Amino acid sequence: MKKMILDFDSSKCCACGACAIACMDQNDYDPKTGSAPFRTIFETEHADGRPVFTHYSVACMHCSPAPCINACPVGCLRKDPETDLTVYDNTNCIGCHSCAMACPFGAPSFNSAGKMEKCNGCYLRLQYGLTPACVRVCPTGALRMVTEEEYEAAHGSGSIIPEARAIAKDQI
Amino acid sequence: MATKEELLKAKIPCAETGIEIRHSLCDICSPTSHCGVNCYVKDGVIIKVEGDENHPLNQGLLCTKGASNRQYVYREDRIKTPLKRTGPRGSGQYEPITWDEALDTIAKKLQGYKAQYGAQSVFFFGGYTKWFRPILQRLAYSFGTPNYGTESSSCFTSGLMAWKVAAATPSRPDMKNSRLFLGWAHNPYYTGYLSARSTENLKKKGVKFIIVDTMYTQTAEKIADLFLQPRPGTDGALALAIANELIENGWVDHDFISKYVHGFEEYAAYCRGFNRTNVEALTGVPYEKVQQAARMIHDYGHPMSIKESSAPLAHHINGMQNYRAIMSLAIITGNYDVKGGQIPVEFTYTHQASGYHTLEHEFVKEARVFNMPAPVGAQRFPLWNELEHEAQAMDLSRQILEGTPYPLKALVCFGINNRMFPDSKRMLKALETVDFYVDMDLFMTDCAKYADIVLPACTSFEREEFKSYPGGWAYYTKPVIQPLYESRPDADVMCELARRMDLDDTLLKSGYRACLEYILSPISLSVQTLQDADTPLRVPEFKPHEPLATLRRGLKTPTGKLELKSELIAGHPEWGLDALPTYREPLDNIDPAEYPMTLTSGGRLPFALHSRLHDVPWLRTLRPKACVELNPEDAQALGILEQDTVEISTPLGSITAAALLSRHIQKGLVSLYHGYREADISSLISADRLDPYSGFPACRSNRCRVSKKG
Repeated sequence: MKKMILDFDSSKCCACGACAIACMDQNDYDPKTGSAPFRTIFETEHADGRPVFTHYSVACMHCSPAPCINACPVGCLRKDPETDLTVYDNTNCIGCHSCAMACPFGAPSFNSAGKMEKCNGCYLRLQYGLTPACVRVCPTGALRMVTEEEYEAAHGSGSIIPEARAIAKDQI
Repeated sequence: MATKEELLKAKIPCAETGIEIRHSLCDICSPTSHCGVNCYVKDGVIIKVEGDENHPLNQGLLCTKGASNRQYVYREDRIKTPLKRTGPRGSGQYEPITWDEALDTIAKKLQGYKAQYGAQSVFFFGGYTKWFRPILQRLAYSFGTPNYGTESSSCFTSGLMAWKVAAATPSRPDMKNSRLFLGWAHNPYYTGYLSARSTENLKKKGVKFIIVDTMYTQTAEKIADLFLQPRPGTDGALALAIANELIENGWVDHDFISKYVHGFEEYAAYCRGFNRTNVEALTGVPYEKVQQAARMIHDYGHPMSIKESSAPLAHHINGMQNYRAIMSLAIITGNYDVKGGQIPVEFTYTHQASGYHTLEHEFVKEARVFNMPAPVGAQRFPLWNELEHEAQAMDLSRQILEGTPYPLKALVCFGINNRMFPDSKRMLKALETVDFYVDMDLFMTDCAKYADIVLPACTSFEREEFKSYPGGWAYYTKPVIQPLYESRPDADVMCELARRMDLDDTLLKSGYRACLEYILSPISLSVQTLQDADTPLRVPEFKPHEPLATLRRGLKTPTGKLELKSELIAGHPEWGLDALPTYREPLDNIDPAEYPMTLTSGGRLPFALHSRLHDVPWLRTLRPKACVELNPEDAQALGILEQDTVEISTPLGSITAAALLSRHIQKGLVSLYHGYREADISSLISADRLDPYSGFPACRSNRCRVSKKG
């Protein structure tokens, strides 16, 4: 499989939250546990003569290289060799939150057992020819899963990735 | 290679996991949507949903609400068995009973009331959604009561009536062929995501957009070439002022008017009263914006279509007249029955215009008994009664409590919620008072807790049903899972009640499917063919719109023309209604010093639909508290900060909610979504501030006071 990029275009987003709910459905999120969902949405606003709104849907940015991978002392996090998405096996997670400290986007969540969980880009769905739950549902096309070639061809226009990469680089 | 455990966790549908994809439709929101859903099913349980990519409507997508279907279906408060009340009304004390006992009790009771007080003493109510409507209406008529009423007493029908008055037929915007779209109360990002996508595509193609909204919405921000922001309920004055500007500049289609329009001169004379001297004072919209709108309509509005809406413009005491004034803009510019304009339609099934004919109307009408007494609301809302063959349920609580013009003894409801009625407490009082009350619902709502007998309904995923879609599509679903617990489809219960009361109605007694076979008999696809397809099919009898054919044939209005001045209304001076689309102020006379702000309710959120999703935990994570939205400048003046507890008061009472400061909201406006148990805005809205034309409640324009609590 090709290297994949989970991209987001805030100009297309309206913060409706369909992505967040689809992610909860895919990952059996239970709000009662008090853990944070993998994907969150929000809207910022300011007045510039007239109101200006910006809409976001944020989850793991699947940074490359990813600061969380270096931060984990027990090697839970890794890059999926097929897709280059940042995936994990939390069997050995000691709940130290080092990954969360390293992550500039607040992506790692901790379940009721104290173990880290986060967006894995639905990498298995990708391998089976499906798209991630959030991308599949997104009614405005703000979220998309593209190959690195497709991403490069678009020159990063309408993408949150250049900004995310710059932020992640500072973190490393 | 991934292990089976990993594949199961990722919910990969394949032989190894045994996860199967089955097709159904989402019926959480409006029947104009009802998107196709793929349910991932494992061992008879839905484990995930996504949009059906082969469905002609949504093509694989879902909205926020639809994405939550799994938690909605498996909500913990689903009613599991038929229940009989054992404690006081409202206490929620029940004991399970069998279906046989429940149905026999209901049948016996209803026949008893019919014998003692007449069939009209029994009221059949249908809530959301509309899938069982014709079956319920026929049940009511076969039983002999005129009292079939629905949630359409406060949604959709007002706009429909406005068109019936003007053209004797409903109408739809042919948006995809328009050059200009007048998006009056058009924010599909929050109401209908599929329309948001098509709106964006049309914008890219160069279609111009005038957006009119009391709120500065995403559509105002992303789509509008011109944005007008009137105060709530002043839409009529704004539309009349735009019309006046068009008329004065000679920008109307005189040829079209002389051929097809009635009452233009009187209408034009009336429009003159809405002009540069008063429009800003009346609506809050500067006159230059009115001029710009008229200029855009002149420059680009051939063709122009206008957003048809169900609730936002209708929920004012002047709502229907405002709607008539807005739609008159299509009439005077010759944008009716033309490609890209407002096109007349026939409803195929449950208010959906799909371009083919069914026998829905006949199915209902043939069971109608002649010389029935007038239904609830008929005296108070004579225009409604003239145009709609159903009760105006906004008068239901009054008639139960006052017993006039005749007593109501029994209510049989398929989904009813007092919080969907203005003065929700009065509605509860009525439910406490009525002799016998049955509610069939998915969830044990606060309102269901007043019922003598509660019946468990199932969702769209647990039943089969017929659904028609625009463009000639017909869908007959299969159940994706067995009905949960002892729940049943509402329509099956209606047919079973007909059997147990042994009504003289062979067709109804033969069940939902047989009824649909009859209703669909004009199309060449059988119910079985449709169901076997497991996906919507294109009906061969589909007929696309033929421009000007309806107008040339002549409309079924009294004059045969498009009526700016309604001769139906003019012929009934005793109704006290105006034949022209006249304007009156939306707010009432209570002291503006004491109640300086305007309260609006029902403005849509992407993650809520009336009250039915407030108890879906995933959706509540997106907005955990009931929030009252305020303009930041108003909040500052009132000393209110984000998330402060705020008290909202009207003469009916007070509620509290968390402050959400937002520039989406204009100054002076206070917006609170409806249906919250902990912040029931309907308890603040008068049950007697109703539109005299449609009977619709004034949910969106009430004087109120806001203050910081504590």
